[in-house]
Amino acid sequence: MLAYSIRRVVQSIVVLLVVGLVAFSMFRFVGDPIDNMLGQERTDADIERLRGELGLDRPFVVQYGRFLTNAATGNLGVSYRQGRPVASILMERAPATLELAAVSGLFAIVLGVALGVFTAIRRNGIAANLIMTISLVGVSLPTFLIGILLIYLFAVELGWLPSFGRGDTVKLGGWSTGFLTSSGLKALILPSITLGLYQMTLIMRLVRSEMLEVLRAEYIRFARARGLRERAINFHHALKNTLVPVITVTGLQLGSIIAFAIITETVFQWPGVGLLFINAIQFVDIPVMAAYLMLISVMFVGINLIVDLLYFAIDPRLRVDRTVTEG
Amino acid sequence: MTVRKSMLLALGLVLSCGVAQANTFKWASNTDPQTMDPHAVNSAPVLGFLNNVYEGLVRRNQTMVVEGALAESWEPLGDKGWRFNLRKGVKFHDGSDFNSEDVLFSYQRASSEAADTASWFAPVSEVKVVDDYTIDFMTKVANPLFPSSIANFMIMDKGWTEGNGAALPSKDKENHATLNANGTAAFQLAERQPGLKTVLTPYGGWWGKTEHNITRAEFTPIQNSATAVAALLSGNVDMVNPAPIQDAARLKQSGGVKVIEGIEARVIMLGFPHQADSLKFGTDAGKPNPFKDVRVRKAVAHAVNVDAILQTIMRGNAQPASQLVSPAMSGYSSANADRPAFDVAGSKALLSEAGYADGFSFGLKCPNDRYLNDEAVCQAVVSMLAQIGVKAELDAMPVRTYWPELRKDAYDMYLLGWSPGTFDAEHPIRFLAHTPNAEKKLGSWNFGDFSNSRIDEMLAPIQSEIDPAKRQAMLDEAAKILQDQVAYVPLYVQPLVWGARDNIELTQRPDNFFILRWVTVK
Repeated sequence: MLAYSIRRVVQSIVVLLVVGLVAFSMFRFVGDPIDNMLGQERTDADIERLRGELGLDRPFVVQYGRFLTNAATGNLGVSYRQGRPVASILMERAPATLELAAVSGLFAIVLGVALGVFTAIRRNGIAANLIMTISLVGVSLPTFLIGILLIYLFAVELGWLPSFGRGDTVKLGGWSTGFLTSSGLKALILPSITLGLYQMTLIMRLVRSEMLEVLRAEYIRFARARGLRERAINFHHALKNTLVPVITVTGLQLGSIIAFAIITETVFQWPGVGLLFINAIQFVDIPVMAAYLMLISVMFVGINLIVDLLYFAIDPRLRVDRTVTEG
Repeated sequence: MTVRKSMLLALGLVLSCGVAQANTFKWASNTDPQTMDPHAVNSAPVLGFLNNVYEGLVRRNQTMVVEGALAESWEPLGDKGWRFNLRKGVKFHDGSDFNSEDVLFSYQRASSEAADTASWFAPVSEVKVVDDYTIDFMTKVANPLFPSSIANFMIMDKGWTEGNGAALPSKDKENHATLNANGTAAFQLAERQPGLKTVLTPYGGWWGKTEHNITRAEFTPIQNSATAVAALLSGNVDMVNPAPIQDAARLKQSGGVKVIEGIEARVIMLGFPHQADSLKFGTDAGKPNPFKDVRVRKAVAHAVNVDAILQTIMRGNAQPASQLVSPAMSGYSSANADRPAFDVAGSKALLSEAGYADGFSFGLKCPNDRYLNDEAVCQAVVSMLAQIGVKAELDAMPVRTYWPELRKDAYDMYLLGWSPGTFDAEHPIRFLAHTPNAEKKLGSWNFGDFSNSRIDEMLAPIQSEIDPAKRQAMLDEAAKILQDQVAYVPLYVQPLVWGARDNIELTQRPDNFFILRWVTVK
């Protein structure tokens, strides 16, 4: 167990380092930040001087090495665009993304499971078929289009909800939350639906097919034969047994909700880390891009590592196989 | 309990918003000013925004004419420099007094190595405090334009800036002035959340006459143009700058919203490699560079149908350009106001005269996110050049990779937009037409290395000539040389399109600065 864990941790660190290396080798192709940093009246000498000061004239491996040694001491560098420490910028922006991800994750799970169960039980009903058809739209329409459509319907035409931004926020320590104000809550609705729609349809379809499978199982028939109520069978016996794969998929999807919030954040001008990253690309703000990419890869690798270790802990077959092959 | 508390809190917020709503003005732009430090970054979004918070010795009015701000008046000291007589009784937002020490301090700060604005003070040899309300800016040679060239030189309070450890602007680390401001202008910074929201409130102690009726102004950057338009249509913001040109017609038709159109100071032009020996792109790569021949450059000028570009791509919003500055700039040459006529036959004749009757192939470099519809304009240019048998291969790219390409001379023709920071015709001569000279900091944007000894010779006299008629004569001559030599092909003056709610009255200045004190909410 210990050897396996250590091996997985080491592998994860190697993956992280490689991701960083690839990222740094790509920055050259994103463009040159110098022109954005100097005004119209800059001279070639100014350009060279600043390039030297920022270390951009060094090979990317050296730049990467410097980033890593600084990052190891908790220093993520200073944003080229804002002239402020990247760490504090990320801290300012993270709550917006995490709150949005949490709400859309919740939306996706609750509605996804509920609709999945419904469409499985009423497999041939009109409503269930309608939901299944509409869910196809949810899967196939790109996020930005859904976002724009929602904005035009609910903000421009009906005027019920704000078209952009996060509304008013309240500071709780270092965390700015939109949960405590009415405008903050209203502002969450459209972006959460936009971001969670894909995951919601995914979960719904997964629950539905798993549920259909389970409902055919023998123990359900026995339960029916025992005269249990439909409700108890569906939710107590059937649903519980469908949830194992659903939880696995949902866990992995959580990471992608955070990582792929970029598009939703751009459409809604949602002030999270995704929008920060888009800004950073436009300005070629290398410290911000590097920190964001490393953060996202740490998150993905971390989630995968935990899942792997959990499998190992939960699933005895893994252990048995290993001892057999190793023995 | 907590639910009830938060509901009460929410209710309170709703009520408090309701009271101030009447005169809260919200506006959005696609770029967030990256700092609140007026000397750290020399870019239009920063300077434009900070003009609402900080003031210079002089400022520009609605029609770009220079008028007194912190200086009540100014006079030349012969040809040695300029004396500024400062306004008395002006107080900074924190209540401290404004005097000549603050001007001297701001000059030292803004002209320091660490400042992005240092080049404004290149003509200055010395600054002398005469008394509390008089200060002299001595120049190396006579400089008639100096006062109008420092309209964006903003004055900071010496005590506040030094006391908060921000004596020098800083780019690579944060200082107090990055997030805070203490100016003298009509608005003060109430809240600054970079990239999110910046709130300004009127400054009660302002020396000037208040023309606006805003009680609170909130700025939000909105990158996505569709989001910005939706925000305007839904009334979530009162004004957006810019409004996408392709949405202008639709905005005009929708109720409650109006479109404010004008032209910017920026001239869009085509540039050539004047010194390169051979072409670098297209099927003729490696062959001699045809653009060294002025007849070929003329043929290009006559082949581009600017009116068609303006009608189709700019929807009639822009104005053709004949020279490197627009007619709104000082020093514009009315004597050279005609631009080359659209003339396919004449253009072909010029080409065959130059020995290119069968045309040639080359590479056109173009940005795709720098100027309004820049890539579409380049595509139109490509198709227009095809009519005279010249085949351009278009390579459009984001501006962040575009400038490095131009600096590497990786182009056969390129698109450039130029907005003269001084609003004077001397500016593009210094940056675009003078032979590049790194030491003297001249011709730094003259990527194509255009070089003309007469232009080079005239720059210094143009900069120091005090007699307006003599100066204009030289500017006319320079404009004529640049036209005759086809150093560039000026195409059009870029349009300016803003969108606002119907109840907003505002002034659109050609430098695309949005000045809050000219806004009224009805």
